[in-house]
Amino acid sequence: MIVQALAFYLFAGILTLSALMVISARNPVHSVLFLILAFFNAAGLFVLLGAEFVGLILVIVYVGAVAVLFLFVVMMLDISFSDLRKGAMQYVPIGLGIGGILLGELMIIYGGWKFAPNMSENLAAPLLRFESSSNTQSLGMILYTDYVLAFQLAGLVLFVAMVGAIVLTHRTRAGVRRQSVAEQQKRRPEDVLEIRKITSRTGV
Amino acid sequence: MAELWQTYGIWTATTLAYTLLVVVGLLLAVAYLTYAERKVMGAMQRRQGPMTVGPFGLLQPIADGLKLFSKETIIPSGANRPVFLAAPMVLFSLALVAWVVIPFDKDWVLANINVGILYLFAISSMGVYGVIMAGWASNSRYAFLGALRSASQMVSYEVSMGLIIVCVILCSGSLNLQEIVLAPRPLWMQILLFPMFIVFLISILAETNRAPFDLPEGESEITGGFMVEYSAMAFALFFLGEYANMILMSAIATTLFLGGWLPPFGLSFLAFVPGIIWFALKVCSVLFFFIWARATLPRFRYDQLMRLGWKIFLPLTLFWVILTAGVLIVFDALPG
Amino acid sequence: MISDFNLVPLLPEIFMALTGMGLLIVGVSQGNRATPVICAAAGAALSIAALVLLSLGWDAQTVMNGMFRFDEFAGFMKLLVLIGLIASLALSSRYLTQEDMARFEYPILIIFAGIGMMMMISANNFLTLYMGLELQSLSLYVLAAFQRYSVRSAEAGIKYFILGALSSGMLLFGISLIYGFSGTLDFTVLGKTIIGLEQIPIGLTIGLVFLLAGIAFKISAAPFHMWTPDVYHGAPTSVTALFAIVPKVAAFALLMRLLFQPFADMQEDWFQIIYFLSVFSMVIGAFAAIAQENLKRLMAYSSIGNMGYALIGIAAGTAQGAGAVVLYLMIYIVMTAGVFAVILHMRRQGLAVAKIDNLAGLSKTEPALAYGMLILMFSMSGIPPAAGFFGKLAIFNAAMNEGLYVLAVLGVVTSVVAAFYYLRIVKVMFFDEPADSFDKNEGSFARRVVLIVSVLFVIGFIIKPSILYECAMHAASALFTVAG
Repeated sequence: MIVQALAFYLFAGILTLSALMVISARNPVHSVLFLILAFFNAAGLFVLLGAEFVGLILVIVYVGAVAVLFLFVVMMLDISFSDLRKGAMQYVPIGLGIGGILLGELMIIYGGWKFAPNMSENLAAPLLRFESSSNTQSLGMILYTDYVLAFQLAGLVLFVAMVGAIVLTHRTRAGVRRQSVAEQQKRRPEDVLEIRKITSRTGV
Repeated sequence: MAELWQTYGIWTATTLAYTLLVVVGLLLAVAYLTYAERKVMGAMQRRQGPMTVGPFGLLQPIADGLKLFSKETIIPSGANRPVFLAAPMVLFSLALVAWVVIPFDKDWVLANINVGILYLFAISSMGVYGVIMAGWASNSRYAFLGALRSASQMVSYEVSMGLIIVCVILCSGSLNLQEIVLAPRPLWMQILLFPMFIVFLISILAETNRAPFDLPEGESEITGGFMVEYSAMAFALFFLGEYANMILMSAIATTLFLGGWLPPFGLSFLAFVPGIIWFALKVCSVLFFFIWARATLPRFRYDQLMRLGWKIFLPLTLFWVILTAGVLIVFDALPG
Repeated sequence: MISDFNLVPLLPEIFMALTGMGLLIVGVSQGNRATPVICAAAGAALSIAALVLLSLGWDAQTVMNGMFRFDEFAGFMKLLVLIGLIASLALSSRYLTQEDMARFEYPILIIFAGIGMMMMISANNFLTLYMGLELQSLSLYVLAAFQRYSVRSAEAGIKYFILGALSSGMLLFGISLIYGFSGTLDFTVLGKTIIGLEQIPIGLTIGLVFLLAGIAFKISAAPFHMWTPDVYHGAPTSVTALFAIVPKVAAFALLMRLLFQPFADMQEDWFQIIYFLSVFSMVIGAFAAIAQENLKRLMAYSSIGNMGYALIGIAAGTAQGAGAVVLYLMIYIVMTAGVFAVILHMRRQGLAVAKIDNLAGLSKTEPALAYGMLILMFSMSGIPPAAGFFGKLAIFNAAMNEGLYVLAVLGVVTSVVAAFYYLRIVKVMFFDEPADSFDKNEGSFARRVVLIVSVLFVIGFIIKPSILYECAMHAASALFTVAG
């Protein structure tokens, strides 16, 4: 047990620290790199919970794909955080106020927290069928049966996101020369070449 | 404390020993892969390759390594120092940590985890960070261009690699690499997966930035790409990382498609040969393919590379996932 | 397999999703030339979806592992949404070519937004709720920024996106607290859990507050209305019309289902919130609109005010109040569609204009349009023979029956204030010196049909108000039968 506890505090500690660094680093690229570190530690926490599938999917999707694009954009943009921060000081009181209110609310929630009397039976209901299989398997089973509607809807949401990204960014530029492999393959010497016999000293 | 030592100490010690064994083996393999590359390409181009250091030039990789270690590491003055130094370490350590889940023989695996293939995929998808960090931190246009090329290339080909892996998982019904190797694979299934094997081989060329997809290095256009500012030890780490990645990718291909440590073609009378020998032989043949492709094919143009990835491989693999799933359902052959 | 697997109640949504994808393929292969055809096809698809919806048996049932609830309320609200979508498509098709934004994704995004809204209406689980909400919002964010070379449109898109993401965050935080308390995402189970409580714990209440804040953003109820004027102003006018007409119906349906079904037993908790939102929205909608010069901004504040009136019906908390809300929303979308048909008509020298002053002397230059607008404005301000009056009457009546005198009186007072700016438009049209006339031959057939139908509805409502009133009451009463 002690190793699990140590690992938990290690992951959680690095996660919190790197999350802090994300917002306080001066260089935006460093912020993104710390964000990636944070994702990584979050994945570690999932693995500690025994949810290895979710943890690794988190790494593949967020670290492997999303954050790469993020890093791309941040590297290519010429943003200076110090310029962005210039005007930010005047919002600090409001920010602190809202943060304080939220913190207070969280403390009230924590202090007065109660579970519903029948919470455990509400919770346990869908999981009883899968006690024998591994958690990846049961995740698949439940995702494609009980939650098939939500799953399909999530697919539609992603689809709309893709359409939206194309709508907002794609432009057809004039004068771009594209390679058409089919056309290249169809091209024959006789279509483009003309062989002429030229007697010397006469020119074409 | 004594109890803690009992439970964890021995385990830690043995694991460390195994790890050391794998790492040393890997480094040696990398060294001799460079040697093999030069020899094989030499043979293909009617040259002799390295001949002077040691018998048949066998000590050449050692000499190269010593030379790189003894040089001075130069950090460009405009570079972002911590990121610049971290990049090669990230790349190299990623190439090493992936090996914990590769089964060399039955039960010869450091961590026999349930989702081994996902772990490999996650690690290989993170390789791109080493490259981007190197390109950005060098504060050089060539390096940055190389990094951008490399990152978009790796991300593009990862998509189809993921779909190919899905096909294999569908056929074997497990995410555990040992179970994937041991899953029965009748002839029709091999035929079904064969096109995916070809696509996978091409994709790993792109994933490891090897010829004919070595645009990120592109010495004739961008003078070496993302590693242009690196020297000595840092450069050596990139170099080691790249070759270790090649071996890793070959090992993945072996595990997914070539039956891992099992004797080839299901010839059970060959089973007296230790599994690790078969494993090594299969990895070597995939590596030979890497070198062969490099010696044979000219470099792709960038738009051709992207076209191949997004317009051919992605639809093809997507279709193949549906086809594989369909075939498995129709013939009621779903594993597990 | 799940026991209540049944796709029949989902047929309209499935049909819309498939046609949306099919039309996208047509669009990709034919390019932007096909936009008018795709617009027409999308309109036809939405009409067919409405017919499919009508042909379903409207008996209350819960399907797909209890995630999707179909009853008379859902059916009726979906019908309203579909009608609103068809109207806004009819309003846009000509505008798209005029403003040089005729890209084929426009009608397709509208279809997907429609699916999202219909999912929100039928949600019986927080997962479907959130997915529907995101599907809808994501499509609308893109539509707001659709005129991507216009800085205003891009600003509208970004503003809507960031604030929308924030509100989704609040919504999710609320949902997570509710889930943490009850251990379920299902509305039916949640309702049963809440009924069994002796005392409502503070965590659940705060969860509800966050949930309501998130939804209040979507219906642009004050004080969560900040985005509305800017987004309405910046987005292309046809998209503004869509924003004003449809999403509110879906969000209201969602709010009503949440409050009257799972949270019915927490009425004293949510009553105060709704009360507060309602008062704030009415006051802000009435007073902030006075200073507006731009018709689109004016319509934004008008919609905030109208949401305030509709919230009174929810605050009443009875079947009568719910019926009044449904009736009110129905009249509201018809009127708004008509008003936007007029705004979209306003073009000078090929450019869209939307200032109130641009309407000056419209009675002389285009009398038919001016009289149509006159009727719509009378209806918006709630002057008796027009339909708008009956909507407000039903709402105030429901409030009075529950003893909510303050809300009712405040509603009447703010209506009088709001009448000032609606009637100012009438004054500008009829008594000011004529400005240059609008471009001729720019009005499209479909837009004219929308205007005529809207005006006829507003006038004709008085002939037999009871039909639609009964329908609305009937639909709303489905919310109050115990979920089966």
